[in-house]
Amino acid sequence: MWGFTGLQNKAPIPLQLFYFANSFKNMLAEKVEQMMEWSSRRSVIRMNGDKFRRFVKAPPRNYSVIVMFTALQPQRQCSVCRQANEEYQVLANSWRYSSAFSNKLFFTVVDYDEGADVFQQLNMNSAPTFMHFPAKGKPKRADTFDLQRIGFASEQLAKWIADRTDVQIRVFRPPNYSGTIALALLVSLVGGLLYLRRNNLEFIYNKTGWAMAALCVVFAMTSGQMWNHIRGPPYAHKNPQNGQVSYIHGSSQAQFVAESHIILLLNAAITMGMVLLNEAATSKGDVGKRRIICLVGLGLVVFFFSFLLSIFRSKYHGYPYSFLIK
Amino acid sequence: MAEHHTASDSKHKASSNAGSSVSGNGRPNSPAGCSGGGLSGGLTQPAGWQSLLSFTILFLAWLAGFSSRLFAVIRFESIIHEFDPWRDELLVLIRKNLPDRPSRFNYRSTHHLTTNGFYEFLNWFDERAWYPLGRIVGGTVYPGLMVTAGLIHYILNLLHVTVHIRDVCVFLAPIFSGLTAISTFLLTRELWNQGAGLLAACFIAIVPGYISRSVAGSFDNEGIAIFALQFTYYLWGLQNELKFVLSTQVKSVKTGSVFWAIGCCLSYFYMVSAWGGYVFIINLIPLHVFVLLLMQRFSRRLYIAYSTFYIVGLVLSMQIPFVGFQPIRTSEHMAAAGVFALLQAYSFLQYLKDRLTRQEFQTLFFLGVSLAAGLVFLTVIYLTYTGYIAPWSGRFYSLWDTGGLCRETQSPVELQLCSASHLLRSPHCRYRRYAKIHIPIIASVSEHQPTTWVSFFFDLHILVCTFPAGLWFCIKNINDERVFGVIIHPAQKQKGFATAFCCSSCTAVSVSLTEVLCLPLVALYAISAVYFAGVMVRLMLTLTPVVCMLSAIAFSSVFEHYLGDDMKRENPPAEDSSDEDDKRNQGNLYDKAGKVRKHVSEQDRPEEGLGPNIKSIVTMLMLMLLMMFAVHCTWVTSNAYSSPSVVLASYNHDGSRNILDDFREAYYWLRQNTDEHARVMSWWDYGYQIAGMANRTTLVDNNTWNNSHIALVGKAMSSNESAAYEIMKSLDVDYVLIIFGGVIGYSGDDINKFLWMVRIAEGEHPKDIRESDYFTPQGEFRVDKAGSPTLLNCLMYKMSYYRFGEMQLDFRTPPGFDRTRNAEIGNKDIHLKHLEEAFTSEHWLVRIYRVKKQENRQALDHKLRNISAKQKYTSKKTAKRKRGFIKNKLALKKGKKLVKKSV
Repeated sequence: MWGFTGLQNKAPIPLQLFYFANSFKNMLAEKVEQMMEWSSRRSVIRMNGDKFRRFVKAPPRNYSVIVMFTALQPQRQCSVCRQANEEYQVLANSWRYSSAFSNKLFFTVVDYDEGADVFQQLNMNSAPTFMHFPAKGKPKRADTFDLQRIGFASEQLAKWIADRTDVQIRVFRPPNYSGTIALALLVSLVGGLLYLRRNNLEFIYNKTGWAMAALCVVFAMTSGQMWNHIRGPPYAHKNPQNGQVSYIHGSSQAQFVAESHIILLLNAAITMGMVLLNEAATSKGDVGKRRIICLVGLGLVVFFFSFLLSIFRSKYHGYPYSFLIK
Repeated sequence: MAEHHTASDSKHKASSNAGSSVSGNGRPNSPAGCSGGGLSGGLTQPAGWQSLLSFTILFLAWLAGFSSRLFAVIRFESIIHEFDPWRDELLVLIRKNLPDRPSRFNYRSTHHLTTNGFYEFLNWFDERAWYPLGRIVGGTVYPGLMVTAGLIHYILNLLHVTVHIRDVCVFLAPIFSGLTAISTFLLTRELWNQGAGLLAACFIAIVPGYISRSVAGSFDNEGIAIFALQFTYYLWGLQNELKFVLSTQVKSVKTGSVFWAIGCCLSYFYMVSAWGGYVFIINLIPLHVFVLLLMQRFSRRLYIAYSTFYIVGLVLSMQIPFVGFQPIRTSEHMAAAGVFALLQAYSFLQYLKDRLTRQEFQTLFFLGVSLAAGLVFLTVIYLTYTGYIAPWSGRFYSLWDTGGLCRETQSPVELQLCSASHLLRSPHCRYRRYAKIHIPIIASVSEHQPTTWVSFFFDLHILVCTFPAGLWFCIKNINDERVFGVIIHPAQKQKGFATAFCCSSCTAVSVSLTEVLCLPLVALYAISAVYFAGVMVRLMLTLTPVVCMLSAIAFSSVFEHYLGDDMKRENPPAEDSSDEDDKRNQGNLYDKAGKVRKHVSEQDRPEEGLGPNIKSIVTMLMLMLLMMFAVHCTWVTSNAYSSPSVVLASYNHDGSRNILDDFREAYYWLRQNTDEHARVMSWWDYGYQIAGMANRTTLVDNNTWNNSHIALVGKAMSSNESAAYEIMKSLDVDYVLIIFGGVIGYSGDDINKFLWMVRIAEGEHPKDIRESDYFTPQGEFRVDKAGSPTLLNCLMYKMSYYRFGEMQLDFRTPPGFDRTRNAEIGNKDIHLKHLEEAFTSEHWLVRIYRVKKQENRQALDHKLRNISAKQKYTSKKTAKRKRGFIKNKLALKKGKKLVKKSV
């Protein structure tokens, strides 16, 4: 830089231009080198306001930069940011360790607590946001990743980057061994238990245990836990206006987690009622006791079924029938 | 509501019979059950009464089931309907596409079968579908349905009952529902007792979960497949209904085992020919055998039954052209092969066990098992690696990979909904992963959605809450060791079957033992079916029969105990009805065991009843619940499952009904007014309807095997007009048919499905179609002025709203107000260049456009550029004045010799 200013006065104008260009080149090379050095240390370069302006915003660039604007500090309580960060790291690592790695593309991150001025400068008020700063020209509309619509999975990010920069990144996820380990632990636990109790394996033939397990599966499925697993609804809904919490979803096409738990309990109660009715009739013992069991069973069946029916009615609009409870 | 009365009526009878039937067939598991035998003691011929009663009840169940399936036919017409049972009414409608209901296609193939014969049908190449590709029909369908209908038609015609094949097809499903009821009765009787069987038959006759696929007019594979499924399980269960006669030497009854196994195979063959769900059977039966092995219930009979079933079933199933070599190549079928091998190994070990010492046997056992396991594992890996065994195939795969399903089904629009409705606000919902789209077509069909509890309750009502109780009773009674132990050796009571089996050779007591080995089958059936139904709403169908059976068991065991009188319970009848019972093949087995039981339990138990009041209260309430079930079933059938999608009905405020027959109107227009070989482009949902009702060639239809072809149609619909014209030209399209519901507020129209077209097109042509172009910058899908310009100029939009802007539906709304989306359309000035409106139905539901042929050459829409032609230089000189020149002119110099230049 000093060379640039020093030469300015002495050199004639064409030469000055030449030096200008030359120093531009030097500056670019210096920047690229710096970026390469950082990215060799960490696949995602952390940036503050100054660095961002110098390496991302300032013009002499021949490389594209992907920037994630985020707020990772714990006090910000941005759980989405953390998930997005994980995906972003996966993507950056895939790029960093791929054979196609070059100085054409860099992954950087700007945290709100380190570069709040950048957020203000770009007029940005939500995190996380992904932006692409192309090598030439200003970022266009499509250079902001549409997070709301397509989510932040690294595959989607990679597709977007390929679209914007023509750099194809094959996402390589580090294999997740936690499932395997958990399975192995479970198997060894069960195996160990069986081995310890090898002299008395009677409990395997315990029909009550098996029956309970089977019923658990059945109740989980009939109360729509699989739907919860796939769709991921919220636990319950709190009305922001008056603060009322509703546990039952108003439409028949959806449900809350709390709702499915309620249904699970109702189903279980009705089943228990049926079993108790049977017990009361078959068991030997005091007649009074059996009568009570019988009435309890009957009550369970009738009351909880009418309750279930009323919940169903409130969800399925236009259903005409009810029993005991409106 | 005649059918509803019949239904509840038959139920009352069934339940009353449940109490009375105990005498003959009461299972020996409950003390009260076997001592309640006095109910029919007063009748002179209980067996006769019983069979008469059962016959009547089954007949009534059949009748009730048949008549409650007739709503659609009575209200509309006796035509092949297509039903859309899972109509999402309230959620925004993008998710919903018509499921691939092939009724119309099935009917067309059946028609082809009856007119041209069976072999022609097998060789049928349908050039009217998938233009220009065509479709090989014979090899790509499950022919069971068509052959059944064709056979019935043939027989009826042979008897000079001249019915049209259409009527056979319309009423096939209701008739088969009666057969399903009977086979359910048989299976439940094997499982529990006759009373439960009758209840189960009544349940399955009217339960909505099954009606949804077997309404009159729905000509679907599932309608007959459930019968085949139940019957196969019945025949399989029958073989396992073992009657061990233990005399001095252990001997299992041999008679008829192979016979029944072959019967089971034939039933399985029918199932394979009818429905792809046969995979369920071929996995469940091996699983059952495996569990029996674990329970140490190996017997020679089981060996014979399974080996016969596997081999004959395999060979038979490979006779269906569509199945072909799948049973030995795909991994869905590998479980069956594995269990077959295991059974061979197990029986071999049993054989060795008799001949070797304990020590030798143990070493051999461990060596053999580990070797075999390693060998099988390596073989499977090798075969998968070399590609002989296909990995899990498409639809089935998504059942297991629920995570994958999750990614598929989270469509962007749903995400949009989440934030729009302010209901599902959590970041979890909004930022769900939407990464891989394995098979977008699968995701687009609403049948492939997971099931909410509401759907379970809607389809099964009280059965869904009571069938766990039945499952509980089943598992609790899964093996009756008590009968065995008490008689032979009290010390053996707690031990497993096998030990008793071994020691029985030393006891010289002749014992007849019944063991219901199909109880584990039903338990496994219930658990696997409930899992599948939870993953996919469509598979509710396979859950329904087992739910009916199990809740019939629950109800019947309650009625057994509460319906009879106390007085009679205390005095069991003295007379024996074994003589009559022996003639009947199955029921008597229980009876004998029951009697054995009786002797044991009678001495120590003075039965004290609960009192008539409590009993009658319980009975009354239970009957009331069952009545509510019948009422619910009728209501659901009438309101939800009997509205065909071909004919729509709307109701006025005073309750009168308008029938909107636009679809048929349009299809008949096509049939009457277009060239016979005209090619009609539409979205794939209407392919079968166009082929069947208009008899015109289609580009894509409901059979979604070729994604790229569908994507091409989607691309044409979502491109602008001139780009679409190029595609349509290359596909030889003559007419374009779209469904537009903006006038009457029909929500299942093409604009609401449009995003799926875009999405599927984007999957194949990511360069040309981009889903984000069809959203506003805020990410909304809007058809009004704020909508994205790409959407407002795409072909689908233009065709839907062509001249709609001139139409004022209501005085309160501006012209061009779309009732379905409640918005004034954004582009009212639509001009079509390459298309012209050919037909619009009465309520604008169907619009058909003709693709203009190119007239000589397409006119330019701008003036020709005026090029001032470059003046070619012409010399003004006359010929005389022109100076010529000579090539290679010789250079002459005076006084020199001529030198010739070498050129």
